[in-house]
Amino acid sequence: MVRLIFLTLLVAASIVRAADPDPLQSPMWDYTREQFIGSAPYRFDERIVVSLPAFAENPTQVPLQIDATVLAGDIERIIVWADLNPIQHIFTYFPHPDVIPKISLRFKVQQGTAVRAAVLTQSGVWHVGSAYLDAAGGGCTTPSTGNASPYWESHLGETRSRAFPLSSEEGIRFKFKVIHPMDTGLADAIPEFYIQQVILRNSREENLARLELSQPVAENPVISFDLKDDLSARAGEYLLWMRDNNGNEFEKAL
Amino acid sequence: MKKFGGSFAVTALVTAMSVSGIAQAGVTDKDIMQDQMTVEDVVSNGLGPRGQRYSPLDMINTDTVQDMRPVWAFSFGGEKQRGQESQPMVKDGVMYVTASYSRVFAVDTRTGDELWEYNARLPDGIMPCCDVINRGVALYGDLVIFGTLDAKLVALDAKTGKVKWKKKVADYKEGYSITAAPIVVDGKIITGVSGGEFGIVGKVEAYDATTGKILWTRPTVEGHMGYIWKDGKKVENGISGGKAGETWPGDLWKSGGAATWLGGTYDPDTKSLFIGTGNPAPWNSHMRPGDNLFSSSRLAIDPDTGKIKWHFQTTPHDGWDYDGVNELISFDYKEGGKTVKAAATADRNGYMYVLNRTNGDYIRGFPFVDEITWAKGLDKQGRPIYNESIRPGNPTASEDGKKGSSVRAVPAFLGGKNWMPMGFSQDTGLFYVPSNEWAMDIWNEPTAYKKGAAYLGAGFTIKPMNDSHIGVLKAMDPKTGKEVWRYQNYAPLWGGVLATAGNLVFIGTPEGYLKGFDAKTGELKYEFNTGSGIVGSPITWKQDGEQFLSIVSGWGGAVPLWGGEVAKRVKHLNQGGSVWTFKLPKS
Repeated sequence: MVRLIFLTLLVAASIVRAADPDPLQSPMWDYTREQFIGSAPYRFDERIVVSLPAFAENPTQVPLQIDATVLAGDIERIIVWADLNPIQHIFTYFPHPDVIPKISLRFKVQQGTAVRAAVLTQSGVWHVGSAYLDAAGGGCTTPSTGNASPYWESHLGETRSRAFPLSSEEGIRFKFKVIHPMDTGLADAIPEFYIQQVILRNSREENLARLELSQPVAENPVISFDLKDDLSARAGEYLLWMRDNNGNEFEKAL
Repeated sequence: MKKFGGSFAVTALVTAMSVSGIAQAGVTDKDIMQDQMTVEDVVSNGLGPRGQRYSPLDMINTDTVQDMRPVWAFSFGGEKQRGQESQPMVKDGVMYVTASYSRVFAVDTRTGDELWEYNARLPDGIMPCCDVINRGVALYGDLVIFGTLDAKLVALDAKTGKVKWKKKVADYKEGYSITAAPIVVDGKIITGVSGGEFGIVGKVEAYDATTGKILWTRPTVEGHMGYIWKDGKKVENGISGGKAGETWPGDLWKSGGAATWLGGTYDPDTKSLFIGTGNPAPWNSHMRPGDNLFSSSRLAIDPDTGKIKWHFQTTPHDGWDYDGVNELISFDYKEGGKTVKAAATADRNGYMYVLNRTNGDYIRGFPFVDEITWAKGLDKQGRPIYNESIRPGNPTASEDGKKGSSVRAVPAFLGGKNWMPMGFSQDTGLFYVPSNEWAMDIWNEPTAYKKGAAYLGAGFTIKPMNDSHIGVLKAMDPKTGKEVWRYQNYAPLWGGVLATAGNLVFIGTPEGYLKGFDAKTGELKYEFNTGSGIVGSPITWKQDGEQFLSIVSGWGGAVPLWGGEVAKRVKHLNQGGSVWTFKLPKS
């Protein structure tokens, strides 16, 4: 037992030592790496593309795209976080081997921060993509706009979706928007209230894509998945299922 | 190394599973039914399904209580310090307690450390009539189940606080909400609804406690169909009261109120749920001549079928907001060598009733407040003999048809006793009734039902009757109707009672004090100021060989909202929101 821990530490230490320094030199890298990757082996990988605007015009709705197609078929999960957000974790994505591991959504940012996408491969090595987002900030502690109007109360979980063919690749993109305040719990007197689970199932009841969301995902989430599929053949055969932390469940056929 | 690590992980997992396997047995039906005598936990509202609020623990007693002191206090935090009317529950070293705005906290009973919390995200449109309170959870298996202000039942994982299931009981936009603690009987979770001021239709519903699937629904207004679910199919289960229009005129039964807002108790002997019902809607009684069943009543309901076995109406054709929701507490007593299976309740209307709990027959009734003006007494069946001059006048008889004549009625609409549960000591055979002495001026106005809008048709203002006190804790003998002792409190009493085998009776006051009295004489034996007004109900349990006592502190509830002239006595009281836990020092 003691020997086991010792060996683990030794192995972990040697990998960390061997790893590259954080290209963004974020003061939180060691902390967030510990939190999300632990002592597992990792390397920075520029092929994991984290696309962000240069500046967050609206800190409550920052578009973010993660493209890990280079590791397609070899992915166990993708964890995405923002180093300097008060709640760092944004989402974790579990793509089915048959989907294109490319995903977009919008999130809230509290201040300028490094944004990470850590991709765990079948071999147990994490590939980390990074990008820096400049922001004036405040996105996480601002009450949701839904809080000022009762619209969400009668439209909670209403979902609109679209599918369109991808231009460059063989496949389709599903994009959906769901009405939800996605309250972080950090604004005064508004408890956290956010969608935690998103699952896209095909007609064979397989989970094509599973997402675990955290509070920083933007209000009224807009999320798009890329699938290897033929639009004409598959329309209407997908089911989107979501559940929030209050236990509300939402379902929609796409 | 990898292989070694793998087998280690498996072993650890198996160990973890078997440990959690024991813990996951959680709270059983038997635990709940025997709660009163199993002193190591508190797994039911009222310390036992009958709701007697009596504990056989006696380590803290009239001799030792003077040494009792707090061991920890836990703050609910946030900026939501409103009325805290919760009764905590305790199981396996964890306290489960609710707070204002539909929050639940799990707290380590040894340290006061928070284990988890759950905050329901409530819509802004919720319509609780009388503060954003909650009265506590139910425990079943590994679930913590409670009702929210937007009228949903939520089941949380007792270990993590994560939602396991959630069911909509009613539409909050119509004025429904839930504030009472649900109760568990034979794996069913039973809940009522609030909203009597909005012309809702009261109901009692049973859900499978494990899955949240609905089992039956029983409307508490005559004329509405009840339903039962058989193999997942909704089947008609009889109209409440047989048919519509027997005791209501026209369509008034369609928005008849009779909210079941205080939940109920359960008697295992007779296998009956005892649920109280609130005022008929609207308050203006001239719009609804008749008895208006089943408003202002106690109902005995079969927990398996949801059928009403019997009812006892305390205020037929109520015109004063005398809800009949108060807890009906089962107890036995000896008379002429025979055991009487009785149940007692102290009503908003100022009378206390002792009923035969097997059939609802009236045994006796007597006032538990100093003055009652609206009735001259009770007849042989326990029906009030009205003082017709104290019914607010009919507005249609007034000159402009807008306001009927005003009357001074006692008790006031907040009642001789409101929600705060009384206790029954098995040692003294007495009921300890938290009561209030106040009067009101009340008048009627025309009104019409509109979905989701207040439906009163009355105006009112509440007044103290004595300079020295409003609140009175009374020890009442249910066999004679005699008052044995009293404690008078300056502010109105709004918290529940706990009686113990240590010959003690505990109650909290709006002034912030937890007070302990000699159960036989009423002598004050203990007091401690918790820093904010108490409107919750105390519990006691045994842990590590010591007796613990907890009470929630946090001023609020209906009194500061509807205060009238009473407001002067409470406006200086500050809000709070915490649980205080006490024990004796180790010798």
